[in-house]
Amino acid sequence: MRPTVIRFLKNRIARGANASQSLALGTLEFELMEILWSRGESSVRDVVPKLSRPLAYTTIMTTLDRLFKKGLLDRHKSDRAFVYLPHLSRQQWERTRAENLVAGFLSGPHPSRDLLLSCLLDAVGEHDATLLDDLEKKIRSRRKELSRQGQP
Amino acid sequence: MILPYLLRLLCLCFASFFVLNVVAGLFVRISCKSAIRFAESRTPIAAARFLLGLRMLPFALAVLFVLGLCVPSYLWLEPAANSERVGVLCALLGLLCAVTCSISIMRTALSLLASRRYNRHCRLAGQETHMPGESSPVVLVENEAPLLAMSGLLRPRLLISRGVLRALSAEELDAALRHEHAHRTSRDNAKRLLILLTPDIFPFVRPLRSLESTWSKFAEWAADDLATTGDSSRAVSLAAALVQVARIGARPRLPFLSTSLLACDRDLSARVDRLLQTAPIAFAVSKPARHGLRTAGFLLAGGFAVLLLAPSTLSVVHKLLELLLH
Repeated sequence: MRPTVIRFLKNRIARGANASQSLALGTLEFELMEILWSRGESSVRDVVPKLSRPLAYTTIMTTLDRLFKKGLLDRHKSDRAFVYLPHLSRQQWERTRAENLVAGFLSGPHPSRDLLLSCLLDAVGEHDATLLDDLEKKIRSRRKELSRQGQP
Repeated sequence: MILPYLLRLLCLCFASFFVLNVVAGLFVRISCKSAIRFAESRTPIAAARFLLGLRMLPFALAVLFVLGLCVPSYLWLEPAANSERVGVLCALLGLLCAVTCSISIMRTALSLLASRRYNRHCRLAGQETHMPGESSPVVLVENEAPLLAMSGLLRPRLLISRGVLRALSAEELDAALRHEHAHRTSRDNAKRLLILLTPDIFPFVRPLRSLESTWSKFAEWAADDLATTGDSSRAVSLAAALVQVARIGARPRLPFLSTSLLACDRDLSARVDRLLQTAPIAFAVSKPARHGLRTAGFLLAGGFAVLLLAPSTLSVVHKLLELLLH
């Protein structure tokens, strides 16, 4: 089998196995993704001036290459340089990350699964309690109004 | 496919039912949003009736057409002796109709079974008791779930949990029980059964679901109005009962053929706000409106009878059936 095919297959297998890991981004990776999400198709040369701090051309090239290997970017060659574009939209990335996080918790040992579920239930419960408190306040004030009008 | 006389009639009935149900159903689906907007401008009782009528309309029209026009025209004008070839399209439409109807029958049977099983479970888990002001026995379930529901079809039973009984004051309980009685008087569980029985437009697709959920919302609002009968203090008690029951916790999963005090959590805020309105909403359809509806019904039935009795109508329908058959 040709080495390029082997590399491709290795990449694919690695992507599937480390799907949740690959979605976690470092600071620079996230900044680069933000630039690509806002700009769309960009080369390394396009990205460098958009960064918040000056960084070497090669550093950006390596990081973009890493993002491509993680499956977060697609790329094609244009005039001997690679042009990168996001594989997922920001919304898709956030959604997948959240799904992976929850799935990771749920597939974990019982204590972590229970912890996640109880946190979610607490959040929903708090929201409901606030709504019910508001409704109760309205009922109390309506009762007062009715008693002022002479109704029981 | 060559079929004998009666099987051909059956195939034609199924195929024409499917076509009419699809046409009328799509018309209802397209006008769904406007219909809901119109319903929102009416009283909840009128809105619930209107939406239920609209949900039933495709089925009713299709049945009326098949039984009133297709069958008589076929029996009258089709020669009985010969066997005829039935087109693939006709057979396919007939098959689709059979599948759609089987799904709705299956759905209904499963819901009836679930309802029966749930009632039996509640009776076993609790005890039958009599409550003041209640003519029929009430099933008191010994748990803390927020359960206050009317379940069953022919003899709906009131199911109430110990937790709800403890959480509500006498006035709140009275208002909540009135709400459930309003469901019983309106025969909402029977209407739910009717909705389940009504075939969908296509198999496995329920495009009129939004109409059904809006009907369900208005049925709850109508029960609220019937329970309070324009009495402001009773309306406040019912609002308080709703909040108290919601506070107990997540409501239990009830079978489709049952009505509950807290039917939908999302609607809670809107229901409480309605009940706390300063001017209570009129809770009954006015007599002129009812009279108008009855007159429209009679006119429609009369028009259909005239259409049915005209011989030319039957021959036109027969020609259409021949077209469909081949």
